Amino acid sequence: MRSVVNIYTPLKGKIEEARELCPDVKLYRVRVPKEVHYYPGQFFMLSLWGYGEVPISVCSLDDTQTLEFTVRKAGFVTSAIHQLQAGDTIWLRGPYGRRFPLEMSYHRDVVVVAGGIGLAPLRAVIQYLLKERRKVKRVTLLYGSRTPDGLLYREEYDTWRASDVKVVLTVDCPSDGWRGNVGVVTTLWHQVEGELREAVAYVCGPPVMIKAALTDLFLLGMPADRIVTTLEAHMKCGVGKCGHCYNDGRFICTDGPVFTYKEIKEWDLTL
Amino acid sequence: MKGWILPKNSLSYWLRQLRKDSDLIGPLRTPDGDIVFESVEKIHEIVLDPPASLPSVKEFFLPQYETVFVFKTDTVRPIQEKRKRVIFGLRSCDVAALRLLDRFFLDSQPDPYYSERRKNTLLISVVCNRPDPTCFCVGIGAGPYLKEGFDIQLTDLGDRYMVEIGSPRGRRAVREYSFVFQRPRKTDLEDQFEVQLSSTARFQQRINLEGVRSLILSQRVDEGFWQEVANRCIQCGGCVYVCPLCSCFTVTDRVYQEHIERVRLWDACLFKGFTRLAGGILPNDAPVSRTKRWFYHKLIYYPEGIGGFGCVGCGRCAVVCPSKIDMATVVLNIKRVSENAVSG
Repeated sequence: MRSVVNIYTPLKGKIEEARELCPDVKLYRVRVPKEVHYYPGQFFMLSLWGYGEVPISVCSLDDTQTLEFTVRKAGFVTSAIHQLQAGDTIWLRGPYGRRFPLEMSYHRDVVVVAGGIGLAPLRAVIQYLLKERRKVKRVTLLYGSRTPDGLLYREEYDTWRASDVKVVLTVDCPSDGWRGNVGVVTTLWHQVEGELREAVAYVCGPPVMIKAALTDLFLLGMPADRIVTTLEAHMKCGVGKCGHCYNDGRFICTDGPVFTYKEIKEWDLTL
Repeated sequence: MKGWILPKNSLSYWLRQLRKDSDLIGPLRTPDGDIVFESVEKIHEIVLDPPASLPSVKEFFLPQYETVFVFKTDTVRPIQEKRKRVIFGLRSCDVAALRLLDRFFLDSQPDPYYSERRKNTLLISVVCNRPDPTCFCVGIGAGPYLKEGFDIQLTDLGDRYMVEIGSPRGRRAVREYSFVFQRPRKTDLEDQFEVQLSSTARFQQRINLEGVRSLILSQRVDEGFWQEVANRCIQCGGCVYVCPLCSCFTVTDRVYQEHIERVRLWDACLFKGFTRLAGGILPNDAPVSRTKRWFYHKLIYYPEGIGGFGCVGCGRCAVVCPSKIDMATVVLNIKRVSENAVSG
C-alpha cells in the first residue's frame, strides 16, 4: 500500500465579491489558486477554520479560476461565512458528486423547477442551457419563493428571457405591487411550453416541494429517468466516508447529489 | 510443506525483535478483568487466547478521537501518524473486518489517515480455539480461522504455533528471524487440522445471514418487527462503538489560543442528530428509521456495495447491548417470526 494524497486538504480561496441577494442569502465569488474544473450539480466543501465545513453547490459555470456559491445563513458555519467580505479568505475542496445529466436536454423541451434557494444549483444549469441554447428546444423556468424579496438572481431574469427562456415566478405571500402568480410552484404546470411527456425536468428546492414536483411531473407523463433532482444532506466529508448522508444504500455525496426520480422513487424525501 | 512452526518459548523473543522498530499492541487484562488492546510493555502480560476484546482493534486505524489538521497563522498542516505498529493476538474476525474496511476506505477516494496506519501495521492474528458463546463468525466465513487476508496467522498447537504467511509484510517479519522458526512436520499439519475442526464444532450459535438477507429482500419482515426493535433501542450507540465495521465519523474544529485543530471522532447513526440539517430539518426523526438503517446497512447494503456482510460475527454487540437487540438476536428473531408466519 502506497501513500495517498490527502483528499481532505482544502484549497485557499479568496473572496472577490460578496453580494447580498436577499435577506440571509449571499452570493460569493471565490478566486482559487489553481484551475478547478467543475460542472453543474457538483458541490464543494466550503471550509472555515474554527467553524467547520459545509457542502455548497456551485452556481456558476466554466470559469476555472473563479467559482460562485450562493449561501443561505442557516446554521453555525453558514452564519460564520456570512460575516466574510470581499478580500477575505475562504477555504474549499471539491468538486464532489455527480453532475446534472445535461446532454439529456438536447433536442428536447426543458423545464427547470426551483423553490427558494433551490435555484442556486439550477442557475448553473440555466447558464449551461443558455450556452447550448441552440441544442435545446423551449426552456421554461418555474420558480417559487415565499416572498417577492426572496427571489434570487432578480437582475439576471432579463438576460435569461432575452435568450428565450420563459421565466414564470410565483410567491406564497405577495407584497403590495406583486403582479405575478401566487401559490406553490406546482400550480404552474400549464405554463410550461410544450409537451411534458417529451420534456426533461431539473428540480431543486425544499424537500416538500421536491417531492410534490417529482410526483406531479411523473403523473403528468414525464418518464421517471428524465425527471432530475438534486438532494441536500448533512455531510462531513463529501467523499463517501463519514456516513452522514447515507440513505438506502447510497451516499448522497458520491452517488448523488443529483438523482433521477427513477433512482429514488422509493425514498421518502420528506423524512 | 507450507507454513512454519514457532515453539512457544520463542514467541517472546520474536515479538521482542519485532518491537525494535514498532509499537507492539496486544490483548492485556485490565484490573477489572476486561480485555483491551494496548501498547505492550511487558511481553509476558499479553493474554494468550483471550475472549473477544472490547472494543475491537478498529481504534488503531480509525481512532475514537484524532486531530487531522492543525491550522496556524494561515497555513494548514495535516497530521499523519507515521509510527509502525505490530498488533499481536487479534482474532480472525477482526482481520476479516479490516479487509472489508480496506475496501471501504481505500478502493475509491482513499482515506489518507486510514491508509497510512494500515500501511504501517503488521497484523499477527491468532486462530480462536475456544470461541465465546456470543461468537458466530463461523457462518459468515470470518473465522475461527482464515484462509487468506491475514499478514501472519498463528494456530495454537499446545506447545507451539503453526505460522501461516498471507502477505509480503508477513513474510518479511518471519524471514528476518527465520532462525526461530522450524519447518512443520506432517503431524503438525494434522494437529492444526484437528484444532480447526474442534474449534469450528465449539460454536454455540450458527447464524445464516444470507438467509435473513433474502427474507428481508422478499418483504417478509414487516414494519411492525422493526418498530418493536426500535422500541427496545435506547440509542446508546454501544453497538456502533464496539463494532469492528461501524466506521461513521464526525468532524469538528477545536479552537485553541494559538492554533485550530480539525478533529474527527466516532459518530453513530443511531443518534438523533446524526443527519440533522442546518435550518432544523431532521431526516430519520423516527427511531425506527435509525434502527432499520443500522441493520439494513450491514445486512443489505454492505454486501451490495462492499461485497461482504457488514458483520463478521464477533458478537461484541451482544455483549454490550443492554436491550438485547444485538445482531445475532435480531437475526434469529427475523428467522423465527417469518418461519412462524409461513407455518401459521
